[in-house]
Amino acid sequence: MFRLRPGPLRAAVLLAVGFVLLRVVYRAAFGGVGGPGPVLLDLPLLRLGGPFSHVTLLGPITLQGLGNAALSALPVAAVILFFGALNAVVDVSRLFGRGAGRGPLRAISRALVIAWATFPALLDSVRRVRIARRLRGERGVAALLVPVFEQTIERALALAASMETRGLAADSSADGSADALTADCARPATMTDASLAFAGSWHLDHLAFALAPGTLTVIAGPTGSGKTSLLHSLSGLFQHFFDGTQGGVIEVAGVDRARTPPRNTAAFVGLVSQNVRLGFAAETVHDEIGFALAVRGVAPVIVHARVLEVAARLQITALVPRPINALSAGEATLVAIASALVARPILLLVDEPLADLDEAARLRVCAVLADLAHEAQVCVVVAEHNTAEFAATADAWLEIQGTRVQVRGAGDRPGARADARADDSVRADDSVRADDSVSPLARAIPVAAPGEPRVSIRHLTVTHGTTRVVDDVSFSIGPGQIVALRGPNGAGKSSLLHAIALPSAPDSVIINGTNVSALKRSTRRQAVALVPENFDDLLFSISVSEECRRSDRSTRASASTAEVFAALLGRSAGAPLTALLGQHPRDLSAGERLCLVIAIQLAACPALLLVDEPTRGLDPQARALVGSALLRASRSGTAVMFATHDQAFVDGIATTTMLMRAARLVPELVPS
Amino acid sequence: MTTARGRAVRPISLSANRWTSLILGAGSLLAAAAFGWPFVVSAVPADAQAAVPWVAFALVPALVVALALTLDREMYTAKTVALLGVLGAIGAAVRIAGTGVGGVEAVFVLLILAGRAYGARFGFLLGLLTIAVSSLLWGGFGPWTPFQMFACAWVGAGAGLLPRSRVSRLGQRLEITLLAAYGVVASYLFGLVMNLWFWPFAVGGGTDISYTADAAPGQNLASFALYSLVTSTLTWDTVRAITTVVGIVLVGPAVLAALRRAKLSPR
Repeated sequence: MFRLRPGPLRAAVLLAVGFVLLRVVYRAAFGGVGGPGPVLLDLPLLRLGGPFSHVTLLGPITLQGLGNAALSALPVAAVILFFGALNAVVDVSRLFGRGAGRGPLRAISRALVIAWATFPALLDSVRRVRIARRLRGERGVAALLVPVFEQTIERALALAASMETRGLAADSSADGSADALTADCARPATMTDASLAFAGSWHLDHLAFALAPGTLTVIAGPTGSGKTSLLHSLSGLFQHFFDGTQGGVIEVAGVDRARTPPRNTAAFVGLVSQNVRLGFAAETVHDEIGFALAVRGVAPVIVHARVLEVAARLQITALVPRPINALSAGEATLVAIASALVARPILLLVDEPLADLDEAARLRVCAVLADLAHEAQVCVVVAEHNTAEFAATADAWLEIQGTRVQVRGAGDRPGARADARADDSVRADDSVRADDSVSPLARAIPVAAPGEPRVSIRHLTVTHGTTRVVDDVSFSIGPGQIVALRGPNGAGKSSLLHAIALPSAPDSVIINGTNVSALKRSTRRQAVALVPENFDDLLFSISVSEECRRSDRSTRASASTAEVFAALLGRSAGAPLTALLGQHPRDLSAGERLCLVIAIQLAACPALLLVDEPTRGLDPQARALVGSALLRASRSGTAVMFATHDQAFVDGIATTTMLMRAARLVPELVPS
Repeated sequence: MTTARGRAVRPISLSANRWTSLILGAGSLLAAAAFGWPFVVSAVPADAQAAVPWVAFALVPALVVALALTLDREMYTAKTVALLGVLGAIGAAVRIAGTGVGGVEAVFVLLILAGRAYGARFGFLLGLLTIAVSSLLWGGFGPWTPFQMFACAWVGAGAGLLPRSRVSRLGQRLEITLLAAYGVVASYLFGLVMNLWFWPFAVGGGTDISYTADAAPGQNLASFALYSLVTSTLTWDTVRAITTVVGIVLVGPAVLAALRRAKLSPR
């Protein structure tokens, strides 16, 4: 409630002084500082005409007149100071949370809480996009607008979906309608000859299955096949939020999904959405976990007890008092699971929980989900293309094949054989290796003159605060090499790539004999270009074709971004590309978006292309696409370096592997 | 105008919607009277004249609360609440980033575009919320805050009331032109309205452009016009009008596209 911050007080003092000065100036200008006593300045009197005939300008200025003017301003100045002091002492933002759960101003109070929680995210987004702007070699505030705004709207929608599924604005129990929904625990989810369709061409037909309590079911299928849509046909967001069309009958716990919006089933359906951080609606972990109960008007004491109970079950009690933005990716996923569990759901739906996590966090989340199904008897449904992680714990698989869904038993994991094949497919992309002389990319990008070694990194060190995140790293890369940078989370891989792309110390990054830190924004990308982990930050336009034109303008090289993009996708720039060019860049699939960003960065003809985590969250097909794109880039003479956790991907395309551990490069270069 | 069409689209909530429109209209009229209190004084019996500024000061915050209460029920859907909160944060950030760059109220761009995309009521609430959040964050809360809230709310609501169907057929460029023109009008009106209630405090008594309670309204009006011209119309308001037009032309298409991708129907 109370705290002291000097900022508002300082501002109020300035404002009050400014106010007094302004009053004196007004009076001097409009003949109000005359009076008895010695005349300081004898200005001529000017009388205005027309409707302003009662006004005279200027006039003599006396000391007492000035004093009177200043004195007369003091009461208002005092009011300003008073409110400044009040602002400095009272922390009004703490009051928002109280009105957000119930009461007549709950919509506005909730919006205020969200606004408050959005600030750090907004600042973070601006910071990230500013880096992206430098990476693209652009300048100007206008470039920031689209990515920051799109990210913010994306956040708003994710937040809306997460609040909807947790019962915000549900029909109140006073009407009896929410309680009138009697949940049938024995039938968590059933589909009877159901079909799902979006306005475009996507559809799934003849869906028929029933899921039992106490089971773990995994929805599998490639990216873009509709795993998320199938999951959300159970959460109700598909029908009631994303404007999808449902046929047949879908029931969750005996309730007709087509007729019941997600907010009214929040008491027995829990959802953990894809990017959990975007869905956080409270300021602390405690309030976030308790959200679903608080919006239903449950007494704070009971909410508190339930929050502690759920946190204890997931072994995250230590996180409960933390602010919501101070969580690692794994912790954030566990908190999101906890907040979906707080209402004791019969059906728990989880969308791509593993995409952002490292090895240790993956194991923990998988164990928690299996435990919930088999010990707590919840019916758990997970959408995940990474089926190997659930091989030991899944009771059933729903595999999407085209427009059908195939139900498989526990031992019949989809993609078990495909996994083994996919690793080969990246390597054995013969078309890339064989036809480099006629490859569209080789034609699209003029090959720079060969030189040895092309890239040389000398004693590169990066410090964040007092910790060294990159410690005295030196190596060199020749043209056409593909270098994989491996190492555990936090080893400094991303920091190293960033420091090579945007070096600050002179003579630490030398490319083709040029010191990169001395290059200008516009020419630096011809030496080195980075595709960062959050590659969406680099998308600045509202259509793919505009994005490509924008990129062509900012590079002075002859390569056309659209042609490079087509070449990376392995297509000729014909009719199939025209359809892509008209789309919003953010409506492309993840693999296509990544290829677009790689194309943007390649269009500048960099001697060195850096890619951070090129396969994160991609299914085998998209991985193969990105893998062959990198191979194509290297065949055109560009040196490529990428950081990854993905061993199979490394084995497929890398010519050299480097290992990083605790900010240092482990010395030997291992030829693969 | 918009509400009339809104009723046609959603016949179920006809009576509730009509009540909301009525309350919003009446509340805005009352608030306008409170803003213009220096000119209302002469219409009030002489004994009560001293109380007018105080009544005005109490009335505006009360009206803010009353109208917020009226709109709250209607806005209580997950999508609206989330968009209000997130856009309110952007607006506040833009406003705080613009303080000290006097008059560069880039927040108008957001209010106008959001009001256009999501309708008058959303624009109204966004105006209230933006000022509330930025004042709290920056620590500039005071008796002036409710007045700023109302003025900004009107800017957002006005954009939502601009004619819709005819324009959308004529294309994006015309829509941007319409919004830019509205931006100019709104910038100057905002300046006038904010000057109006503060004028007697800013100048105090004893000058020729001072507010005098017993003077003819004509003289007060002339004094106010001169005060306003000197204070903001020629300077801050003009800068604001220019930034708003430039902002809407530069970012309008992209922001409108992003807002409309979120698919919240105007209300």
